[in-house]
Amino acid sequence: MFEHEGLLKEFQWVTKESEKKHIGESIAKTSLAMQEISFALIQGDNESVDKLTKENLENGISANEILDNGLLNGMSIVGVKFRDNIIFVPEVLISARAMKAGMVHLEPILSASGIEPLGTVLMGTVKGDLHDIGKNLCIMMLRGAGFTVHDLGVDTSPEAFEDAFGEHGPDIIGMSALLTTTMPNMGRTIQHFEDVGLREEVRLMVGGAPVTQEFADEMGADAYGESAVDAVDKAKEQVALLKDLKS
Amino acid sequence: MNKMTKKQRVLAALNRQPVDRPPVANPTSVATVEMMDLVDAPFPEACRSAELNARLAGTEITEFDFDAIAPYFSIIQESSAIGCEMQWEQKDNWPTVRMSNPIWKNASDVKIPSNFLDHPDVKVITDSIRILRNEFGNDVPIIGKTMGPWTLAYHVFGVEAFLLGTIDNPEETMDSLNKLLEITYLFGEAQIDAGADVLTVPDHATGDLVSAQYYQNFLQDIHTEMAEKFSVPIILHICGRTVDRMPFIADTGLNAFHFDSKNSPQEAMDAVNNKIALVGNINNPETLYSKDVDDVKKEVFDCLNAGVQIIAPECAIPLKTKSENLIAITEGITDWLAENEKKN
Repeated sequence: MFEHEGLLKEFQWVTKESEKKHIGESIAKTSLAMQEISFALIQGDNESVDKLTKENLENGISANEILDNGLLNGMSIVGVKFRDNIIFVPEVLISARAMKAGMVHLEPILSASGIEPLGTVLMGTVKGDLHDIGKNLCIMMLRGAGFTVHDLGVDTSPEAFEDAFGEHGPDIIGMSALLTTTMPNMGRTIQHFEDVGLREEVRLMVGGAPVTQEFADEMGADAYGESAVDAVDKAKEQVALLKDLKS
Repeated sequence: MNKMTKKQRVLAALNRQPVDRPPVANPTSVATVEMMDLVDAPFPEACRSAELNARLAGTEITEFDFDAIAPYFSIIQESSAIGCEMQWEQKDNWPTVRMSNPIWKNASDVKIPSNFLDHPDVKVITDSIRILRNEFGNDVPIIGKTMGPWTLAYHVFGVEAFLLGTIDNPEETMDSLNKLLEITYLFGEAQIDAGADVLTVPDHATGDLVSAQYYQNFLQDIHTEMAEKFSVPIILHICGRTVDRMPFIADTGLNAFHFDSKNSPQEAMDAVNNKIALVGNINNPETLYSKDVDDVKKEVFDCLNAGVQIIAPECAIPLKTKSENLIAITEGITDWLAENEKKN
């Protein structure tokens, strides 16, 4: 049940039935301590998230529980509010900063635990585009969900994607763009993977503020992530699909 | 109605007055690789040499028969002049500012170089305007461009740091915007002195990044002041979803708003309630870049049927846009006029 009144109020922004069920059930099974972390994250209160994460670890709560039941539950509500234009990028950024404040304590423990990742993703903003907020939010959500993510940064050429593919052997390559003028470089990267014979080896995803499903289809992408939250769901689907295709 | 010159047509449309035919003009850029090859004025040189800049800009009239020339293709000339780290790229990619290496951290860092207007990357635009005025005479309007303080703030502080600052310290943000505004005025006035008839002010407080409330709190007063101070018509440009802030924009007294295809022409017209002219909004990445002449014409018809005053691509067009799709914009207006004449 919701023990934290502030979090319950924030949950009112979740209106889609399927999400109400999914996020509601996920929060309802958590303790007040985890709900406090979720709420602090939604508020962008990085100092509280930092303090609460440390305290809970000291109290013997596992890093996985804090990540899943505290930070990611909070981030799910942030994702819904962002998608539904209740909040915008500055508000998401302060929540992301709060998430980072918690992850500083959790990451060393999680990486030492040796849990198998859900998949490996290469992420980069396409050639000619130096914007990285959307890409960074996606990376944060993907890592939180259990993916290994290699960040290629901004202004990533098709050849740089190919080189990184050779180095990391990812399941997914995620391309981001903020500018309508650079979006066509997604298509050029996809074409490059065709040209060098690697197209069938990896799933290619696209996203970014001006990108649409129609554009993704025209460029020949395998999937389009409408938001950072959606990108995680699509990435899970694409990893499963790639396994089927390769089996 | 008597046939108007291109300049009369554009200025009338910007003032929401009757026109002999709706004008077509992109207040951002119509530079393409095809045109760079045609007149031997490739990027990035065409952004850094006044002569090449004017040669490429002139194709807007000579090849596409648009109603105006906009010689400032990118959004980075003044940022280069104030010291931002630049990536000039090559023919088929836009020059850009390396925003991940910002030059300033807060308002007290904002300092405009005393020789700002003499910097080659600023002078290229003012010199190009003079060349174009000379070449095309007084009947073709020249649209200059000067970045608004919000866009300049992305360049000098970095997007993420600047947006975080709006929450952490909004007073500091206002201080920064007011200081950066001096650059907007300096460069804008210099272009007017050089012969610009109209100015575009890109100021990317887009719905993809910030709320309508942000526009109202941080920018509406600044744009209202701009409308009073500049002596030529001003076109505000903001990409992305903006219909929620259009009523605020319409109240600034600016002449026109250049809007993105994420907003339908009709909902945009309804939102501005005839208080400001609209310029737009043919989709770039899907329609102009990827589709055909008929698809372009359909979007021209949608804009004209809604009453959009100046027909234009939604933003600077992708550099590999086909010429036939740009020519189709003007043809679409002709077709629409013929269809309406038949109906009447």
